[in-house]
Amino acid sequence: MAVAETTSALLVAAQARDIVGPDWVVTDGAQLRVYECDGLMNHRTVPGAVILPGTTEQVAAVVRLCHEHRVPFVARGAGSGLSGGALPTEDGIVIGLSRLREVLDVDAANQRVRVQPGVTNLRVSEVAAPFGLYYAPDPSSQQVCTIGGNLAENSGGAHCLKYGFTVNHVLTASVVLSDGTIVELGSEAPDAPGLDLLGVVIGSEGTVGIVTEALLNLLPKPEHVETLVAMFPSTETAGDAVSAIIAEGVVPAAVEMMDRLAIDAAKTQTPITWDTEAALIVELDGPAREVRQQFEAVTAICKRCGADAVQVAASPDERQTIWRARKSAFAAVGQLSPAYLVQDGVIPRTRLPEVLNGIRALADEAGLRVANVFHAGDGNLHPLVLYDNAVEGEQAKAEAIAMRIVELCVDFGGSITGEHGVGIEKVCSMPKMFTGDDLTAFDRVRSAFDPVGLCNPGKLLPTPRLCGEVPGFYHAHPVETAGLGERM
Amino acid sequence: MAELAGILGADRLSDEHGTPVLTPRDAAEVSTLLEAASKTGLALVIRGGGTKTSWRPTPTRCDAILSTAALAGIVDRQPGDMTLVAQAGTPLAALQAAVTGDTTHRQRLMLDGVGGEAATLGGILATRAAGPRRQRYGTPRDIVIGARYVTGDGLAAKTGGTVVKNVAGYDLAKLLIGSQGSLAVITEVSLKLHPVPDVARTVVLQTTDAAAVAAFVAAVRTAAITATVFDVRWPEGIVAIRIESTPDGAAAQVELLEEFAQLEELSPEAGDALLEDHLNFPFTGAGAVLGVGVRPEHLPTLLAAVAAVDGQFFGRAMLVAGDIVLPDLDPERIGRIVQALRDLGGNVQARRGDETHRLAAHTAAPGVAMVEAAIKQQLDPAGVLV
Repeated sequence: MAVAETTSALLVAAQARDIVGPDWVVTDGAQLRVYECDGLMNHRTVPGAVILPGTTEQVAAVVRLCHEHRVPFVARGAGSGLSGGALPTEDGIVIGLSRLREVLDVDAANQRVRVQPGVTNLRVSEVAAPFGLYYAPDPSSQQVCTIGGNLAENSGGAHCLKYGFTVNHVLTASVVLSDGTIVELGSEAPDAPGLDLLGVVIGSEGTVGIVTEALLNLLPKPEHVETLVAMFPSTETAGDAVSAIIAEGVVPAAVEMMDRLAIDAAKTQTPITWDTEAALIVELDGPAREVRQQFEAVTAICKRCGADAVQVAASPDERQTIWRARKSAFAAVGQLSPAYLVQDGVIPRTRLPEVLNGIRALADEAGLRVANVFHAGDGNLHPLVLYDNAVEGEQAKAEAIAMRIVELCVDFGGSITGEHGVGIEKVCSMPKMFTGDDLTAFDRVRSAFDPVGLCNPGKLLPTPRLCGEVPGFYHAHPVETAGLGERM
Repeated sequence: MAELAGILGADRLSDEHGTPVLTPRDAAEVSTLLEAASKTGLALVIRGGGTKTSWRPTPTRCDAILSTAALAGIVDRQPGDMTLVAQAGTPLAALQAAVTGDTTHRQRLMLDGVGGEAATLGGILATRAAGPRRQRYGTPRDIVIGARYVTGDGLAAKTGGTVVKNVAGYDLAKLLIGSQGSLAVITEVSLKLHPVPDVARTVVLQTTDAAAVAAFVAAVRTAAITATVFDVRWPEGIVAIRIESTPDGAAAQVELLEEFAQLEELSPEAGDALLEDHLNFPFTGAGAVLGVGVRPEHLPTLLAAVAAVDGQFFGRAMLVAGDIVLPDLDPERIGRIVQALRDLGGNVQARRGDETHRLAAHTAAPGVAMVEAAIKQQLDPAGVLV
């Protein structure tokens, strides 16, 4: 009998059938294609195999197999990430967590909920709602994105200006380490002794382990919410209003800005009538009388800073329409352009006008359109670079502009990513923000969790293979470490 | 040791009861010093203001103290962006004075000065110290947005940045916060600032009935109240709530609080003094002190356990976290309260007393201990930082 050629990934897949059951192992080419990319669709790699475990123990057993056979693996939630964090490797395994979608316990008295990683972000707030509670982080993709992915990316959302990020709302997590060891990190009570390993795992983009369960903190729903949309003649004047609101000592629940192109896109999806160069959405929440007093001040500031009109949401429905317009903006841009790239730079808020001018200049130079959607309160920009993938060379041009935009953010003292993560997309921009020594320190911590380098390799930290030589920073490939090959 | 002194110059070397104290001027000197110490196998203890040295066990080895005293001063302050960058050896009180002294911008650093006037920014981080304001603003991990540090073998690196939102790279500030100086010397810290609210009002509930305290906390928890401070002092039976808001917002919240219990409002000065007392009391006296945390539902059990060992609790009633101060260093007493807390699934950390450290010593689960040891090995391979 001829021996079929088999890869290590297929060997792991074959053995994993006994762990998860044959129905939950995918090796068929057409089915594997479902997993070839996440929300960053200009990067695609078909994985060696996909395994869908149904318990923490099964995740651990599959990871142990990968460790034994030295097969790289990447965890995947909903696959809605925008930086390619869940992009597979062709010789690797995708560990899909879609079967782990139970809400295990709602503890209303202590205001917390225990969930599996495949539970969607929105579902957490839904199960908390009967108790007057909700889960604060609210990424725009919250209807589909999962808690596992939120932990991996340290997701924020529109309301993180006031309420913080995922890392501020997770109490404990069960984590499967790269050798299959299961650890419980964090604590149900405050002030756990020892190192804050949970703080490192959250936002580590799947490079130090796989979260298989999490205990999340819930907040009481605010007594009162007010939302307005102020129409400004320019993004500069809208930016001035943001600074003035902050200077007034008001901490809004959210401050979002959309420019004309983003508004035009949103109009294709939502019944809004905004006709302006820049729309500023401001939401305040909290005790009713505090909110009312601050809302008056905010409205006055918007007018003083040049708003032509201020629309106040008169009902929850109107509020929802405003948020739908904002949260659908990314997808809606698809109606204006055959293709687009989303960026995620951060700048000190006060540098907004200069950076917007810089973005405009870059767009003009390339002859491409850029729509801007921002979390204006915390300086997190989401420029959308529009291009036509049918035009030869235009995608490359768009990618180049997108990279130059985030690097411009770094020049102004900001960051290459505020919430989408580094993933594969911005891995080669890391040296722009961090020195070789900074990256070496990151890599040392990564090695402490994953000495063999199997956990989502190629993401987050630049490698010479992907990015060329990174000055002062050398990341040995596992093949080299194992003495099986050397760098050319 | 002569080599280390040579690196810095004689004026940077002093002596404290026979232990050399090295005071590097900047991160580059810290780096050179640690690289040299790594090679020669010396053991160094990092020290900021020296106010919380009893929070860790007495080191078994200490060839020299590395003082951060000369790493002082504000590097950058951007009121418009509400951010501050300061060197780690800066006393928190000095930072706070600089920020609040700017009356144009009315901002504040929402870290409490645990340890008093001499407590430094770096020390607050290294010990993960937090006081009454954590009820609203969290602990250092919620306020720090970036840091510069030097690893045990002298690698000078940065994590995070100076913008309030940033997920590029690992958030190693989280790892350094609470690491007791065991992984790296923190040299510079970036922080978020917050606006100073229009009005602050402090009201007090007095009751020695633990069940009544718990019921009050439960009522407030789900009410339209955003307290900045929600402290309890036990067995004195003082529950102090500080509301910071707009004038109308504060009035509404105080009225609502008064619906739940009979309260007395303190003058602003008396309110400040009470909170200062909660911060400082655990640093007075000579008895054992423990930092503790339990699940919210266990507040009444915690209060009863404290009273049963003749101790006192100064802490955050809603979270629940704070300090237990015992009247002496009696091992039997310490052992009883440690056991009571562990029975609740609570956390205990020794704050004062060698016996307290022995009896409250934490043992990490094997998988966690393995990762902790690997991180120590990666960041301080020669074991310089003890």
